[in-house]
Amino acid sequence: MNIQDNYLKNKKNIFFSENKDIQSHREKLINIFENDRFDKKNNESLKNINLKNFIDFKYKYLIPEETSVINNNQENSYTIVSVNGQCSSFKDDKIEITKILDEDYNDFSKNDTIKNNDHFVNLNSLFLNSGFKIVIKKNNDIKIKISNIITDDDLTIFQKNNYICEEGSSLNLIEEYENKNNSTSNILNVIKLEKNSQLNHFLIQDNSPSHNLIITTHSSCKKDSTYAQKVYNFSEGYVRNFHYSELIETNSEADLQGIFFLKDNNTSNNKTFVKHLAEDCKSNQVYKGILNDRSKATYFSNTHVDQVAQKTEGYQLSKGILLSDNASYFSKPELKIYADDVKCSHGSTIGPIDENAIFYLRSRGMSKIAATKILISSFINEELSSIDNEQMSEIIQKKLVRYLSKVK
Amino acid sequence: MFLEIKDLSVKIENKNILKSLNLNINKGEVHAIMGPNGSGKSTLANVLAGKEDYEISNGRINFKDNDLSDLNIEERAQEGMFLAFQYPVEIPGVNITPFLHSAINSKRKRMNEEEIDNLSFAKLLKSKANDLGINIDMLKRSVNTGFSGGEKKRYEILQMSILNPDLAILDETDSGLDIDALKIVTDGVNKLKTKDNSFLIITHYQKLLDYIKPDYVHVMVNGSIVKSGGVEIAAEIEKDGFQKFQ
Repeated sequence: MNIQDNYLKNKKNIFFSENKDIQSHREKLINIFENDRFDKKNNESLKNINLKNFIDFKYKYLIPEETSVINNNQENSYTIVSVNGQCSSFKDDKIEITKILDEDYNDFSKNDTIKNNDHFVNLNSLFLNSGFKIVIKKNNDIKIKISNIITDDDLTIFQKNNYICEEGSSLNLIEEYENKNNSTSNILNVIKLEKNSQLNHFLIQDNSPSHNLIITTHSSCKKDSTYAQKVYNFSEGYVRNFHYSELIETNSEADLQGIFFLKDNNTSNNKTFVKHLAEDCKSNQVYKGILNDRSKATYFSNTHVDQVAQKTEGYQLSKGILLSDNASYFSKPELKIYADDVKCSHGSTIGPIDENAIFYLRSRGMSKIAATKILISSFINEELSSIDNEQMSEIIQKKLVRYLSKVK
Repeated sequence: MFLEIKDLSVKIENKNILKSLNLNINKGEVHAIMGPNGSGKSTLANVLAGKEDYEISNGRINFKDNDLSDLNIEERAQEGMFLAFQYPVEIPGVNITPFLHSAINSKRKRMNEEEIDNLSFAKLLKSKANDLGINIDMLKRSVNTGFSGGEKKRYEILQMSILNPDLAILDETDSGLDIDALKIVTDGVNKLKTKDNSFLIITHYQKLLDYIKPDYVHVMVNGSIVKSGGVEIAAEIEKDGFQKFQ
């Protein structure tokens, strides 16, 4: 079924179908799909995937019967269970959780940083069927853990979440994606950080081979705010992590980091893109990948420095270990600099595990497999040892041990 | 015989490096191999340790009644062979202490000995580090990472003293060491020497042999041992160079 027919058939189940502005925007998106020839060569969002599987899909959505938000008041922490992309409304003096509204959709549809040429974001806007909005109120320090659950096979979740960190607030957000069923989640997170706010965002992805996860994040940072994201992808199914950040006021920071652990025939596409639009801002984009068997990955990083963004500091790094001759990792760092007083760098290193290091460790009595595992762990040691949340650290370590147990 | 190398020929990428090399080392002996650059000394060390880049085209090596070709790299180490590297490899992210602890226990496991616990190992490591003038803070760092040339060599000797090998091969351990570091390193070797273990010392210069007294000195040229004798050979080389042996 083509996109238009699919949309028209399921329109009644899609959010904001009655809103004329939104309808008009969606018609434009349908035109893009109808006219686009899907030029894989020049579009990084399409590398290594069979887009047909994602366009020619059977739409299915079930409204969840039960969702929950648990407030652990003593520690300013909240546990949210998002079921099929939806969660309960909740309000206290620190946070407010609601459904997303028409205005949230419109707000995002005007943003041109990511909407152009990204078919998955366009699909998300077109078939939107779930999502929520979380506001962290002024000067509060909050922890939130979100478990994302999908109830049934064959569901197609198109979810949009809005996060707003008000002035002076701080949010520590852990998101877990551990779905075992045959389903697809296409999630768009839109994050706004007001003056002097901070968001530490952890995403743990560990889905089964039959689950496809497409996550796109767009964050914008106002004066003195920081958005820090760490992605740990242990999924056995397809994962796309595309994360965009705009530093729109002075002294703001974006730190986009990720590690992916691939095996079998799995594929992962990754992208980070930071736009420096104000003076004295910093960005860091670091992705590391470990690829076994016939797995494939891409990582595109991009630092765009506007001409007003003097005193910018931007750093990019991509590193990969190929554990098999049949694994492949394509990495492309880019810098576009229009200001003259900046410090920017980029680097990319991908290759097999260091044979000299293996020999050294074995010559001390360590088996080849133990030496390989210790070198993989050391490759990501810096990232793992910097996790200051003990519970998170334990979760990641366990998943790493499981991944390493399959390394031969 | 502790180590017996018989008629050994080795090549890499079809280039012959070692040619019909013979060498016998008995328990408790210290042997030195001297030779010019490119004579095959480091190849011999790597072949003994089991590095897999080399092809043994002829001959055999026996170590403690084992045919070495039956043992892989780690099995040779567990059997008591130790190679002090000419260029110790930097391994960022692998902490020295757990690495060495794991190394010693892999050897004990093979020997059916009880594994050493954390506390006993920490004590052993501290005492050996003190002997070698190694700062305890260095043991909190990653293997060889950010070490100076001298620190790397000292750390190799620390590993050797912890693992207490039956045969230690020192591949140009003196290179890059100042006189004070050389003395510390050689003191470490001398402390470890007993009637039950053996050393194969590879060096360019006689200086090292002022501190570690070898029982035998061999001259290696173009992949073969061309002369063997006592320590007087080292003095001869110091005086006249290797030219006369080529």
